[in-house]
Amino acid sequence: MAARRLHEFVRALRGAGVRISPVEAEEAFRAAALIGYHPREQFRETLALTLVKSEAERPDFDHCFDTFFQFEESDGEAGSEPPPAPAPDGESGESLEPTAASLLSQDGTQLEQTLAQAAAGIDFTAMQVITQQGLYARRLLMSMGMGAVDDEILRLDASPRHADRHRAEQLRDWRGGVRERALAHVQRQFELHGRAHGRALREHTLRAAPFRDLREFQQVQELVRRLARRLARSHQRRQKKARRGALDARRTLASSLRYNAVPVELHWRERRRLKAKVLVVCDVSSSVRDAARFLLQFLYAMTDVLPRVRSFAFAARFDEVTEDFDRYSPDVAVGRILDRVSGSGTDYGTMFQELEACCRGEIDRQTTVIILGDARNNDLPAGERHLADIARRARQVFWLNPEPPSRWNSGDAIMARYLPYCRDARRCASLNDLSRFTDALLRQLD
Amino acid sequence: MKTRIDSVDDVTQSFARQGYICDQRTALAVYLAAQLHKPVLVEGPPGVGKTELAKAAAGFLEAPLIRLQCYEGLDESRALYEWKYGKQLLYTQLLRDKLSGVLADTESLEQSMHRLGDLGDAFYSETFLEPRPLLRALRADEPVVLLIDEIDKADQEFEAFLLELLSDFQISIPEMGTVRARHQPLVFLTSNDQRELSDALKRRCLHLYIPYPEAALERRILAERVPELDARLREQLVDFIQHLREQDMKKLPAVSESLDWARALVLLHADSLEPELVEQTLTLVLKNEQDAELARDLLPHWFRRHGGAS
Repeated sequence: MAARRLHEFVRALRGAGVRISPVEAEEAFRAAALIGYHPREQFRETLALTLVKSEAERPDFDHCFDTFFQFEESDGEAGSEPPPAPAPDGESGESLEPTAASLLSQDGTQLEQTLAQAAAGIDFTAMQVITQQGLYARRLLMSMGMGAVDDEILRLDASPRHADRHRAEQLRDWRGGVRERALAHVQRQFELHGRAHGRALREHTLRAAPFRDLREFQQVQELVRRLARRLARSHQRRQKKARRGALDARRTLASSLRYNAVPVELHWRERRRLKAKVLVVCDVSSSVRDAARFLLQFLYAMTDVLPRVRSFAFAARFDEVTEDFDRYSPDVAVGRILDRVSGSGTDYGTMFQELEACCRGEIDRQTTVIILGDARNNDLPAGERHLADIARRARQVFWLNPEPPSRWNSGDAIMARYLPYCRDARRCASLNDLSRFTDALLRQLD
Repeated sequence: MKTRIDSVDDVTQSFARQGYICDQRTALAVYLAAQLHKPVLVEGPPGVGKTELAKAAAGFLEAPLIRLQCYEGLDESRALYEWKYGKQLLYTQLLRDKLSGVLADTESLEQSMHRLGDLGDAFYSETFLEPRPLLRALRADEPVVLLIDEIDKADQEFEAFLLELLSDFQISIPEMGTVRARHQPLVFLTSNDQRELSDALKRRCLHLYIPYPEAALERRILAERVPELDARLREQLVDFIQHLREQDMKKLPAVSESLDWARALVLLHADSLEPELVEQTLTLVLKNEQDAELARDLLPHWFRRHGGAS
């Protein structure tokens, strides 16, 4: 029973996004058996030590723990009082069905226990959608034995006596109270288990949704962070493993002395890891703003593998925004940036000129320049020769455009003028696009 | 080594006797690690006593502490074992005559090879083995506490190499086969979160995060470690440090900094925090010039707020 509860808890945790392997779960059960369930804080810490493997997951764990183990605690809660005893007139009390009788005689705490016991017999982890709650509540009530009470109400309703019908009314009220409790319990279970299915589905949808629709969602921040971290981690590994370089003659000779000058062990000069520099220039006019925000957020979440990112934003004006994203949360940063540079009339030509002017010394063979924008230049001079100059000095230039390629040259958009200087240009309109691009970028930088 | 650990309180009390004041969570981690034979991965900002924890655990268990400091480029030959090449070479030189004697009566090359083959093992035996910390921990005659310090500084490969040790307490050496721990050591790994550790490693460990201590705990630590410090001054000091930790700084002051500062104040015979005194000794607490400047700006405000109390 206890083990099953813990199993359910582990599943709920997984649903909340905490990764737990079967071995870890096993370990947690052993630890819990060793420490016991009381005091509660100690029990919590025991599970945390064995199940939570990074401090970032701790809030999820605490939330899950509180919700999950709340049921056991809610005994003192004021709830449905047992219905008043039937009027002692001897006649209505005839042959009350024993299950119903025992349910009716329970006070709040006892009832809560009965509910808990019945709940233990039902597998809530299969619950997937919100509309199933009613069904599960009904199932829970039935397994408590409330069926007998229903029968009793029906029987009393049919009775000709006034006192009986009054009694039926009382029982109905009482039943309503119990049902609410059961429903509350099922709701909590849904919070824990059902949400997990929904989460996976939602994540899938969010990743493919266009940026402008994402603004509304709270969870996007979290999702972006997770995607970025996952990506960063996979690249970190490759970076280390790929290390192999020219022969280090000095060390090889020195170590060969051990073997009578036979070079048994070869030593390699570690290839100097190229310190990749990334310059990001984002158009933050209203049409591209959302994409810019996610791109920057993504890049800054990967400081582990991309230590040197400088970012710039432009719309009516052009300015460096590195500090803003370093120091503030994405929401605040975007607000600050917009205050500084927003306005109408994006001018790519001037932007390239200013970029070149301010980063002339900075752009070298290790620099990757990423430009995010729709290349809608308001019929102003394209200024592609500045971009050409930047491209010549830099290692590579990438262009991300939130619009589909078919519209890259429609209206006042002039992608064709800039394309020759870009190593690659792709559409970037959803988190999926973004994470694919970043993956390709990191692969190049390794 | 102490074999019986009665309860979590047992751990807490022993730690307190050694002057290591910790919260419930930390003691629980040590207790569970010892009972379940699992390594503990200790994370947290620098200076909160991660390494001290391993030392205290060694003291508690009355077991020797073996420490392996990790750094970039650390490899098996530094961490596990190495052959004593010099000695091997010396022996072959010295034994040259002896060897020719042994080989003298062989007729064919094959026969000599065969005889040498028998001898070959002698050169890869205990005599020429230089055990490094990990092997020492596995082959110790009594259970030990093994501290693998700053694992995040080592390379990914080394982390992978540790997995076998952490889950099965054994390690494979090509020339000698698998070395199994005579007694399971209690392993602590510490990390400053310089890079993300692999899931495989985390899965094998209990995970303990030691945050900056809360005010009450920090007061207890100071009282224990720097008893000479006046109680009122201690209050002030802890208040001030806690206030600093709420700021946006490059390097927040940790427990080790509070302790240094407290000791310095004792030496200076200070009996209360004065703006001038703080200004002069601030570099003990904040090691970064920008942070120190920020703190100097905060000083007047803080003293105004706490001035009445002192």
